[in-house]
This record gives sequence, structure tokens and C-alpha cells, in this order.
Amino acid sequence: MASLVLSPAEQDFIIRGIEKGFRGDGRGNLDRREVTLRTGMISQASGSARCRIGNLGVGTDVLVGVKAEVNAWTPGEPEALGSVVCNVECSPSAAQEFEGRGAEEINVELTQLLDRVISRGSQGAGGLDLSALCIIPKQAYWVLHVDALVLDVRGSIADALVMAARAALMDTRLPRVVVETITDDSGTAQAEFDVVDDAEDLVALKGVSGLPVAVTFNQVGKRYVVDASEQEEAVTQAKLTVAVSPALEICAIQKGGIFRGFQPSLMSEILQTAQRIAKEELTRFVALYEEAAKHKEQQSDGPSTGSTFLVAF
Amino acid sequence: MDVDTEPPAPRDIASRIVTPGTLITSDPAYMRGHGTFVENTAIYSSVAGAVERINKLVSVRPLKQRYGGEIGDIIVGRITEVAAKRWRVDVNSRQDGVLLLSSINLPGGIQRRKSESDELQMRSFFAEGDLVFAEVQSYFADGALSLHTRSIQYGKLRNGTLVTVFPQLVPRSRNHFHSLPCGVDVVLGVNGYIWVSKHVPASTIEENSEMIYSDKNEFISDDERETIARIANCIQLLNRLYVKITDTSIIFAYEASLGHAVKDLLTQDIATDLAHAVNSRLDQQA
Repeated sequence: MASLVLSPAEQDFIIRGIEKGFRGDGRGNLDRREVTLRTGMISQASGSARCRIGNLGVGTDVLVGVKAEVNAWTPGEPEALGSVVCNVECSPSAAQEFEGRGAEEINVELTQLLDRVISRGSQGAGGLDLSALCIIPKQAYWVLHVDALVLDVRGSIADALVMAARAALMDTRLPRVVVETITDDSGTAQAEFDVVDDAEDLVALKGVSGLPVAVTFNQVGKRYVVDASEQEEAVTQAKLTVAVSPALEICAIQKGGIFRGFQPSLMSEILQTAQRIAKEELTRFVALYEEAAKHKEQQSDGPSTGSTFLVAF
Repeated sequence: MDVDTEPPAPRDIASRIVTPGTLITSDPAYMRGHGTFVENTAIYSSVAGAVERINKLVSVRPLKQRYGGEIGDIIVGRITEVAAKRWRVDVNSRQDGVLLLSSINLPGGIQRRKSESDELQMRSFFAEGDLVFAEVQSYFADGALSLHTRSIQYGKLRNGTLVTVFPQLVPRSRNHFHSLPCGVDVVLGVNGYIWVSKHVPASTIEENSEMIYSDKNEFISDDERETIARIANCIQLLNRLYVKITDTSIIFAYEASLGHAVKDLLTQDIATDLAHAVNSRLDQQA
């Protein structure tokens, strides 16, 4: 995503800094920026979350909403599984090059990434329990629409996207479904379901805590950095987004950047480092989610008027 | 919110913060200025900002506004396009500025005349993406700024990094190029683009007039790199906490920041503390 054009002098400054392990804002190559997380802000959605990666109120900002629908089963679909459908859209207000059809390519890339991490992951790598989303086998199941909107871009969209999606799914509550078997006069048993219409009677998703976290590595010169800023992405040759589950298993890998490839030895080093960093990120996520939940409860008093520019959202 | 039912006394009008739609005065003696509109002889604010009054003229200065551009402004811009005998420059304004080939210094001495080959190799001077330190010379008919770099201190920027801030936080002053005591040079562009770089003695620049369009950075030591990052972070936190950015406030922020690691300067708590410290010192000084 070559949005920012830097002068050769700026590029050289950034590259040399990264080679010495000292980035433009003083971070080390593996240090990440602050993250702000809030959940439950979209009341019409089954679950929602907003995640911003960046300091002092400015950063890459992603909003994710989860909407649950009941689908009728059609032959050819898995008989006893629900499904998850992801869609990512970059708002034209996020960056100038997203105007008109400029965001098409990156929308597809990010949708594929989210798909890999969330819905593909659910079919075996220990993510969401899709069988729990089945209502009646060969008849009806829940489909979760995970829609993401990228509101602002300051580097590391993939990381913010996956974090927001993870939080939105953890925030998701489905209405409870009651399944009855009715035997009609001719003796055939038929299952029927009824969605309980009670706003207090809600069920969380099973398996959300197994969802992975994504860490993106950007290769700059001979080194790599995590949580790249926009300027650092402008001098990136190749990037690797690695999704790691809480069991520290690698769930998904997506390589971005069309200019260069990775050396295989560098790739295995990155995968090892990804496990270590993912562990730290998962711990941080738990703390952030708890803070978001606390904030959601206190939300009834209206918007906070704290230190003007640094109000969370 | 509070809609005043009575017009305030004249001395109370100025320096109130208003939001769009707030009644300023219904006294017909006052004339409306920028940022206001009139309905039924009453003057209302059309922007969020501070009310200013000069004699009978009432205007509202917005808190947040695009950089406009005045003649004589010192700015930092980024070249976006190379066109026929001119460059288009992003100056953080509503329109790109224009830097004419006839407005730059040619290598080999200030007095060298422009030749045809200069026209054909414009990218050897400024290419797309380059940062240029320039002054606003005049306006074009469509309002675009015309820039020039016809002085030895202006020209291509290197050996550092760019920080973008709100333009209204950079006050216009006599001098926009500062050599800070910590060994870092700062160029405060009035358009909100600030260049932080390694200190290069002025004599070096004058000696190498052939090298003024070089893209090559000098060698930057680890200490210099850390100081540049520290100053850049200080400027960023002054920006986000809405403190005026001058060489004084940057130096105060730098001194207050020395107790913290560079990367911690942008965390909310530390940044807020530092901004308070800078504001206290600035108040004391005033």
C-alpha cells in the first residue's frame, strides 16, 4: 500500500534507524504502540467493538459489528454447522487513496485475511465452535456476519482488524433458541425451533477464547519491525501477517507486499518471534477487554468529557 | 446550549468560546466578520471558536482550520508532481502550492542563470516526495501559493524526520529555523509541517553549494538519532495536547522529558504530565 511517498533522505533515515533497532518514535523493533479498545457501541448489532492502535488519540481505527441471522439449510452445505461470513471495507475518509474505487484491492486483501483468521480457523484450528451455531441439523443454523469498517489508517491495519473482530465476537450475544420435537398425526417427528425474544436471555458464542491474535511483521532492509507506522510501511519490502492462537499455534499466515519475498530462514525466525509476541498480545488483550467491559457498564452517563483531544473515541 | 436572551455588554463579547449557532450579539451597530452569519439583524457564530472584536467588527476565529497561507510565511512542503518548469507542492492547505523553476537556487552559485538543460532535468533538483523548506512569495489567480527558495537557508531537507501538527499551533515569528541547544535543528513550518534534523553547521551548507540538492544524509550517530526521536515525540505530544509550538515550548518539553524513555513520551499519562509542566513554565515566564 504505497500511499505515503517519502523523500530518499527520509527513507534512509528510517531504514538506518531500524537497522540499529531504534525507530523514529523511540520504539524498539518489536515494541508496539498503545491500544484503545471499546465494545458494545452498536446497539443494533449482536456484538461490536472498536479498536485503535496508536498513541495520544490518533491511530489505525477499526470498527467491527457482528450481526447474527438464522439461515435455512440447503443441500450441499455442512449438515450440522453454522457459518461465519466476513467483510472488510476501508472507509474513503480513512485515506486519500481510498476514494472511489481505490480501496477495492485492499478490501479484498483484508477480507481474505479476516476470513482466514476467523472463519477458516473455526473449522479446525480451535476457534469458534461452529457446531454450537447449528440450530437444527439439515434445517436451520446461525450465520454470523462479521463486518469491519476501517476508519483511519496509521499503519498495521491487519493487527487492529483482527483485534477488533476478536473483541466483537467476544462481545456477541445470541438470543436463546428453544428446539422442540413435534410428532404429527402420521407419526413422523419434526424438529421446530423458536427464538426467544427476551433481551435479557442471551447466550455468548462458544469457543471465542480460542480465536487467534494477528501480528504483522514488516521487513525493512535486513531487519523486521512489528506494528509498523505509516512511514515504516512506506519503506517496507515485504510483510507477513501471522495469526497465533492462545495455544500458541500458528493458525494463519498471509504474506503481503508485491515487491519482494522473504528468505526462508527469515520466515522461520519471524514465526518463532510471532509466538512470543502473540503471547504478550493475548495477555494485553485480556486486560483491554476487561477495561472495555467496565467502560460499557458505566456508559449510561453519556459521553465522557475528559482531557479534550484524548477522549477514547 | 446557552442561548443568550440579552446581548452582552461590548467588553464581554470578545474571547468567548462559541459553537455554531450561538448568538453573539443582536445589537445592530456591529458588523459581521469571518465565521459569523446574520439572521434578523442578530449575529450568530457559524464555527466553533473564539469571538474576536475589533471596534465594530465581530468575527469568530475557528479552533480548527485548514492552513490558509499568507505572503511571507515560512513553510515546509512535499513535492507531489513535476510539471513543466514548475513543481506542485503539498503544503497542507486546500490546494497544492507551486514552486517555479525560476524561484529556486541553482547549484553552482545563486547567480547562475537558468538554462534549457535545467528544464529537462528538473528531477535532479526536486523529485516527487522530496521535502522543501520554502517561503510564500505570492498567490496565483486561483489562490494557490507561489513558493520560492531563493535564500541559502531554504531548499531540500535531509538528515531527519517530519512531524505533522495542527497549523494553528505554530505561531508566525521572525525566525522559523532553530538550532536547539541539545544538538538538533528544527524547522517550524507555519503550515504544520515540522522538520526535525541533525544539526549541520551553517558553514558546511555554504561551502557545498553544489550539494544543496543532494539526497544523501550525513552520518547520524546513535545519540543524535535518540535526540531527534525525543524532540519529535515532544513536538507530537505538544501538538496532541494543544500547546503552542515554539522553540521555547519545545525546549521546555525536552527538558521535562529527560527523566523518561523516548518511547514512553507518547503514552497518555506521561504526555499529559509533560504538557502540564510545559504550560506551567510558559505561564511563569509570561
